[in-house]
Amino acid sequence: MMDFVQTTFASFISLIPVTLAQSLILSFVVLGIMIPFRMLSFPDLTSEGAFPLGGCVCGVLLAGGASPVTAISCALLAGFVAGCCTAFIHLRFRIHTLLAGILMMTMLYSINLRIMGKSNLSVFGSPTVFDWVPFAQPGFPVSKIVAAGLLALVVFIVLNLFFKTEQGTAVRAVGANPDMAEAQGINVWAATIGGVGLAGAFSALSGAVMVQSQGFADVNMGLGILINGLAALMIGEAIVGKQTVWRQLTAPFVGAVVYYQLVSLCLAAGMPPPDLKLATGLFVLAMLALPSLRRSRGAGAPARETFRE
Amino acid sequence: MLEIRSARKTFYRGQADEKIALDGLNLKLATGEFGVVIGSNGAGKSSMLNAISGSLGLDSGQILVNGSDVSNMPVHKRAVRLARVFQDPMKGTAASMTVAENMLLADLRSTRRTLRRGLTAARLATYRERLSILGLGLENRMDTRVELLSGGQRQSLSLIMAVGGSPDLLLLDEHTAALDPRTADIVMDATVRAVDALKLTTLMVTHNMQHAVDFGHRVIMLDAGRVRLEIAGEEKAKVTVPDLIGHFSVKTDRMLLAS
Repeated sequence: MMDFVQTTFASFISLIPVTLAQSLILSFVVLGIMIPFRMLSFPDLTSEGAFPLGGCVCGVLLAGGASPVTAISCALLAGFVAGCCTAFIHLRFRIHTLLAGILMMTMLYSINLRIMGKSNLSVFGSPTVFDWVPFAQPGFPVSKIVAAGLLALVVFIVLNLFFKTEQGTAVRAVGANPDMAEAQGINVWAATIGGVGLAGAFSALSGAVMVQSQGFADVNMGLGILINGLAALMIGEAIVGKQTVWRQLTAPFVGAVVYYQLVSLCLAAGMPPPDLKLATGLFVLAMLALPSLRRSRGAGAPARETFRE
Repeated sequence: MLEIRSARKTFYRGQADEKIALDGLNLKLATGEFGVVIGSNGAGKSSMLNAISGSLGLDSGQILVNGSDVSNMPVHKRAVRLARVFQDPMKGTAASMTVAENMLLADLRSTRRTLRRGLTAARLATYRERLSILGLGLENRMDTRVELLSGGQRQSLSLIMAVGGSPDLLLLDEHTAALDPRTADIVMDATVRAVDALKLTTLMVTHNMQHAVDFGHRVIMLDAGRVRLEIAGEEKAKVTVPDLIGHFSVKTDRMLLAS
């Protein structure tokens, strides 16, 4: 028994830096899930397609000799367009947000295949953004942690400032009460399309940086990213809360870091990787079901959240 | 000022349950005038307000605010000139946002939203002052999320938000109907004070005949999508609740005879 704990612990510790690097890169998907879900009341599945989209665009451009920054910028743009499309489908045709997201991610699978021309593409040896981190050997977790961490910090600060501006407050109002927002002169279409587009851009950014980190792009790299992201978001919100803009924006980053360490711990303890999705799904279910369980016990839980249909 | 020219709107056109909501409705409201709209359920009161605010598109007819045709403008563009208080206190405010943030949203209704900081100290001071008029202590709860306020407090907040920027036109959609009598009086009192002080052009829909008698310059009675009766000036000053209810019954008799 002691032996088992020791080996588990040892392998978990040795994996911490790698997992931290990975989780910082994936924290942008969690952000891309949180923004529509919490800020716009627009539960969205686009990220499952936008993440590999960013990866494929980045992969093809890197293989074609483009600079890492160009590749990431193009991925951002592609993700933004994908997000905009989902929001437009919902607004124009009054299709449920989730269905609009499913349509988009299904179509994106074919588009991703078209972009790459094959199901996976190695970009090993191409220059990456991690090469520019000083005093760290490229390819090692430290450079990835520094690069992804810096990027996360910048995005966090910019978003935090944005949501406190006049425009940012208006975007949040669209999520809180679209009818009221419209009556206050806010263009609900523009705010929704822009917001979901931004979220798609973050998901694609994550995919692009991931490709540079792992050295290959794969059309299936988005499989299950959504449920992982949701689980991370739930953990983050459980830890830091979501009552203020600052807390709500911190949750994806804290959640991503904690969640992937937990996954790493489970794997180190000998959990078979195929069971991971079941475990994650059950965890998300439990987190989502908690408020309704609490309410049925009669505690003064807040009213169920409302989402756009 | 507000002018509605022969507004027509039919729901479910060509179907068995076809319903004429607005049947060539004409209405003029002079600048600074306070009109009170009454009428039975289904008379077209809500359709008229929705048509003015833009959430209901007309089949034909025009709506003019301050002389310019707004008939084809979307809701958010019309909101630059007109403010609205809904019947449902939940509808007029953003529940998950704070009192101060709600005030900010209303404050920005008629201006272009920029990338500058929203809640500045100067703005917060202004909002506190505006809220203190209500005497509900909302000025000390600027950081409270609106969902934690009572219905009456929310409706009072909606009212202050609506009259804040001195809109060209104020629409009140049975805004005291969902409140208890005492709170309704507080909100109504605040409404009249604001409308008088700012000389707002106002259109108020109500089912409360006493309010129709006590407030406003003109009573407008709608029936079957058109204006049935207007009482203004001397006559308005002398009108009583039984008079108004009498007009309702005349209408009902006529409906009985017609059928």
